[in-house]
Amino acid sequence: MIGLHVNLLAAGDSGNAVLWTFLIYMVGVFIIAGLSNRLLKNRDFLSEYFLGSRGLGVWAFALTLAATSSSGGSFMGFPSKIYTHGWSLGLWIGSYMVVPICVMGILGKRINEVARTAEAITIPDVLRDRFRSVAFGLVSVSLIVFFMTFNLIAQFKGGSTILKTLLGPIDAFTSSAASLPDWIGAMCNQGNEYLVCLVVFGVAVIVYTTYGGFHAVVWTDVMQGVVMVVGVLIMLPLAIMQAGEVAKTDKGAGLEQVTRAMARMVPPRKGTATITAVNTDQPVVVPSGSWIFLGTGENQRLLKIKSRYDLTASEPSATEAEVWEIVTPADIVQVRRRLESGSERSNVTGVVTISDEDLKDYAYGAKPEQAGSYVTGPGPEREKDHGFLPLSLAISFFFMWAISGTGQPSNMVRLMAFKDTITLRRSIFTVAIYYSAIYFPLVIIFCCARVLMPGMESEPDRIMPQMAVELTQNIGMGWLAGLLIAAPFAAVMSTVDSFLLMISSALVRDIYQRNINPDAEEKKIKMLSYVITMVAGLGALFGAMNPPEFLQDIIVYTGSGLAACFLAAVVYALYWPRSNSQGCIAAMTSGFAAHLSLYLIGFFQGHGGFSPYRPLGIDPILVGLAASFIIGFVVTLKTPPPPRDLVEKYFHEAS
Amino acid sequence: MSSAEMTSHDTDPNTPTAIRHTRVFLNSRREAIVIFGSWFVALCWSVPYCYIYGYGHQVDPETFSTTMGIPSWLFGGILLPWIVADVFTTWVCFFFMQDDELSHASDEDTHEAAEMVATEGGGA
Repeated sequence: MIGLHVNLLAAGDSGNAVLWTFLIYMVGVFIIAGLSNRLLKNRDFLSEYFLGSRGLGVWAFALTLAATSSSGGSFMGFPSKIYTHGWSLGLWIGSYMVVPICVMGILGKRINEVARTAEAITIPDVLRDRFRSVAFGLVSVSLIVFFMTFNLIAQFKGGSTILKTLLGPIDAFTSSAASLPDWIGAMCNQGNEYLVCLVVFGVAVIVYTTYGGFHAVVWTDVMQGVVMVVGVLIMLPLAIMQAGEVAKTDKGAGLEQVTRAMARMVPPRKGTATITAVNTDQPVVVPSGSWIFLGTGENQRLLKIKSRYDLTASEPSATEAEVWEIVTPADIVQVRRRLESGSERSNVTGVVTISDEDLKDYAYGAKPEQAGSYVTGPGPEREKDHGFLPLSLAISFFFMWAISGTGQPSNMVRLMAFKDTITLRRSIFTVAIYYSAIYFPLVIIFCCARVLMPGMESEPDRIMPQMAVELTQNIGMGWLAGLLIAAPFAAVMSTVDSFLLMISSALVRDIYQRNINPDAEEKKIKMLSYVITMVAGLGALFGAMNPPEFLQDIIVYTGSGLAACFLAAVVYALYWPRSNSQGCIAAMTSGFAAHLSLYLIGFFQGHGGFSPYRPLGIDPILVGLAASFIIGFVVTLKTPPPPRDLVEKYFHEAS
Repeated sequence: MSSAEMTSHDTDPNTPTAIRHTRVFLNSRREAIVIFGSWFVALCWSVPYCYIYGYGHQVDPETFSTTMGIPSWLFGGILLPWIVADVFTTWVCFFFMQDDELSHASDEDTHEAAEMVATEGGGA
């Protein structure tokens, strides 16, 4: 076999660091679950298990809400988007400047009061008691279970994918995955490595959530929240310093030069080509992510081969191989520098040849009149000629993060758990500072990544762990990569555990205890809570073995769908004494129907997968919210007012 | 703000007696309106500012306008208002939002109290 120069040192070091971090991290999680389980003793089980007895202090409340909201997307999907589309992601995420105050301040105090008055533990509990309507409770339970189940499967896949990315460089992991019996591998269509990660991730989350309940989820969220912010704050100065050094000119270094270097960038060209081994006497392995230089002098070109190819004497060529051509001169220089220093994986120049190229420019960003697309709006986009973030989408995202976040039941249930209003006030402040320390710095860090590590467009989801390894190894502290890489894993874990508990609370409290067996003994409720949490988790785990496609789209669909269903109904329930069950059920169902119908139209129009139809470029979340608020308002006024005693109970002073 | 100032009365003609809204309800509603307004202001500033100064411009890398290394359109449209939003959030949290007692009455207790109010014509 031809010995290609493949630098596995970096991968090996980071792999060990990740493994140790992961093990220490999991030990911490299980210790927390054990301590939380002890809290369950001598307290009302349901209230403690699902709501922490409404006793959350500032740090617990602030960080559980922040960590739950920051799913894996924040640390995997978001960095990959920044890397792919540049500075325009600053506007994409812009409404996070008001997300903490909106999500916690608009509903927080009032929903906490109403939940206490109703002695409610779950959101369906609140709605059912607020309107004394069993039907409303059941409708809301059904919608939560519907959306959350989809979302949980998607999050399980996200968690496993992250773990697979993190553990991929570890030999012990890959060899143990490869040694799985065939019948086990056949259960999953995503490969053995994915299956191992899914089981490890899934079992860990299910066990600690089931055993520890709400407190375990909250305190692991706190730990995860700290890991996330520490990771970002370490990466920020390192990224600016190192990328600034790469981009430095006689005018200086630092972020200024990074941005100017980005202004000179032209998006890469993507396409396919035929790869042929030069020497067919021996087998040739072309590792994934290999680089190849074509030509010489000023006309020299640089291509990246995305996947691994095993070329043999009988099959010396691979056709339709995905390749990316780097066209920015400074990027080509940087790749050459990284290959020489051993930071890049492999160089197959002279080992294989490229023919039958079919490469295409980005739809937006490659033309001369679109120069500087990485530093201006709407940002480069490979398939859509109106760019990454056209105006209508920018407006939609301002709604999406702040308003849709306010309408998430998983956030609402946390708002029912804080101890007092002092806790609420201080927590809003804490989360505001926390988000400020995370989101815009992430934009800066991964804009720097564009300069530091060119060519990652072919595998953008790996940019976070790769950047962590790059930054820490450049300062001789490779072990630190483990901590930084733990951040995305922590983010997805904190989201999954919360959603898992929401589904089980809906089934145990809202279906079983309130409708089937109101007099059930605590012992029975306790056992059922454990069983249902575990069964829901295992169900999602099995669902994620053969997950549907378009998972990121499913996450967006469920998040915006929940907001379209719940926001108007909950706002009316909390702030409008005239509101009644008919109006709020109409608000909930019309939001659901309007939102779903746009997705169905998109599906039948052949937009592909979960891509919705956007009338005038407007996102379904806006249409769903508008329908929900308007129809809920009209139906309320057209139906009889609520019983007087109910209004007094929730709106009037008792004396 | 005193409890008396917080009082709001039912104006429904069918209401037999005037009854005070809870303090938490009134404070929460006032705070929610102000907070929602802040989101709207952020929307009205950030999106138009970024669109006017940052969209569709031809860029010369040497003269492209930056502030502290960040594109100026993003600095003025997002980072600066983000800092303002944090100051506003601080003000809301420590100077505007009221501390209220979050009652923990049981359903039965609260219901009885409400009935008593209605029957006895209590309230303000």
